[in-house]
Amino acid sequence: MNTQGHSATSDCYTRVLKLSELAPGTKKVVEVGGKCVLVCNVNERLYAISNVCSHNEKPLERGRVGNGWIACPAHGARFDLATGAALNLPAKNPIATYPVQVVDDWIEVLVERAAAAS
Amino acid sequence: MNDQATIKLADLKKGEARCPGAPSTQDIIAADKVGAPGWVRSESYQFLGDEDIPKERYLDPAFAKLELDTLWKKTWQFACREEHIPNVGDYHVYDLAHYSFIITRVAENEIRAYYNACLHRGTKLRASGTEGSAEEFKCSFHGWSWNIDGTHQSTTCHWDFPHVKPEKFSLPQARVETIGGFVFINMDPKAPALADYIGLEAKAHLDAWKLQDRYIYLHVSKRLPCNWKLAIEAFQEAYHVIETHPQVAPSNGDANSQYDVYGEHVDRFISTLGVVSPHLYGKVSEQDVLNQFVLGDSSAMGDTKLTVKEGGTARAVMAGMFRGMFEKATNTDLSKVSDSELLDCFSYTVFPNTFLFPGISLPMVYRFRPDKNDHRKCLYEVLFLRPVPIDGKRPMPAEPIHLRDDQSFTEAAGMDPGFGAILDQDTDNVGLQQEGLEASAKGGLTLGNYQEIRVRHFEQTLDKYVGRKA
Repeated sequence: MNTQGHSATSDCYTRVLKLSELAPGTKKVVEVGGKCVLVCNVNERLYAISNVCSHNEKPLERGRVGNGWIACPAHGARFDLATGAALNLPAKNPIATYPVQVVDDWIEVLVERAAAAS
Repeated sequence: MNDQATIKLADLKKGEARCPGAPSTQDIIAADKVGAPGWVRSESYQFLGDEDIPKERYLDPAFAKLELDTLWKKTWQFACREEHIPNVGDYHVYDLAHYSFIITRVAENEIRAYYNACLHRGTKLRASGTEGSAEEFKCSFHGWSWNIDGTHQSTTCHWDFPHVKPEKFSLPQARVETIGGFVFINMDPKAPALADYIGLEAKAHLDAWKLQDRYIYLHVSKRLPCNWKLAIEAFQEAYHVIETHPQVAPSNGDANSQYDVYGEHVDRFISTLGVVSPHLYGKVSEQDVLNQFVLGDSSAMGDTKLTVKEGGTARAVMAGMFRGMFEKATNTDLSKVSDSELLDCFSYTVFPNTFLFPGISLPMVYRFRPDKNDHRKCLYEVLFLRPVPIDGKRPMPAEPIHLRDDQSFTEAAGMDPGFGAILDQDTDNVGLQQEGLEASAKGGLTLGNYQEIRVRHFEQTLDKYVGRKA
């Protein structure tokens, strides 16, 4: 399982899900530090992204995940899961992405505000 | 000897001549160890005339406009693969010049193609070149929405539109049919069914390949500097191999390839691989053939070295070893697949935009579309298909890699370098051909009766559509 390996220290990360709770090809919404984060397990890789579409602020959680992208179910904007970049209209602005790692079979996400609050 | 050969050729009717002194494609295949099925062991050539093809069709923007108004509105086009829309609600946007369709799976076994435009003020409901999943198609402009079955769901501020009757505001559709995992669409409600359009014999070939059991392993697209028809025609014959691809000729039966036409819309060639080009008889050995064989999917080959034993043939050695190597590399059972299907290049055109290569060593699909802004440019796509692994887990189709106009096919990640170089040679020719046709003092293209029959067949079918009123 590859993760978006960032070099931040482990204690800034928040445990959000057991790895076993996120089967390959699925995604789940978690709340971290007041942010709505969508954790995706796709093609043997974990991604954590903002659950809010940058185009119309609709939730992305029911969107289709493809090879490296998620499509907003409302109007079809797609975002790069790794970088958050908007891939097509009607979105132009990126969405936030968060570092994610697996420690002791826990999926951990790093959200700055959550780290400050803890 | 030469005189006799000349007299014999002169006695033949037009289109009956074949490469002198070389075995036919059927002769080569008949000598293989694992025999080929009927769709390989048959011929369907037809002489269709020897007049020049007038060149205006490649040069005139008015002709391109006429094609968009006639032929592209009446023909079955490959829009996407079923694997692009595996689940109910999944959609894939297919464009043909200014036309755009949302190809949507509305039930497990039902796919529809909606004209991609809001019925309010016309905004595209989904951006071109995209995929996704929808619970409704909602316009990003004013929020009018449609259910995935195309029925009108809501009009924002309905009180202001008493003249909008929901039952009359369903999304207009093109027709959809599938074959071999390919989703075809046709804008003409009166067009024949896809099976009739392809024809009984050619459809039996397609059915035999079970292309629904393949997945897109690599997908590369590039804009080419020529009319879309020149791009297609560059791949419809093996006649160009000796001059354009000299590195391939030692292991390709180019001048003795077989050409067939099936009804109006399908034609093919079989170009044997692992045999010496008739152009090079006496100049290369069987070991040379083996050494210079270029594979479309050589990543499956590993580092294996092959040798031809005394008295053996390169073709026999390759057939024996490829079977095991491709089985291992793709985790599939190829024990019943003939030597010919493993080795040879089978190339089929389904008029107008689809090019199928069902062989195992060249498992490809090409698609050609006119550029919406420039009749001197077109969009060319290469899709490599691999068998779905034995364990049944279907990988997601590869995302398309869009090359810039100035990039080499060898720069596409995952492309075999040898094959990328071949595609560069092919696509460099067509830009020069477009410009040369514009510069030429001659009014048309002259074609060989046998080796270029697919080009003539394609253009004759094109004439039938473009001559009709929209």
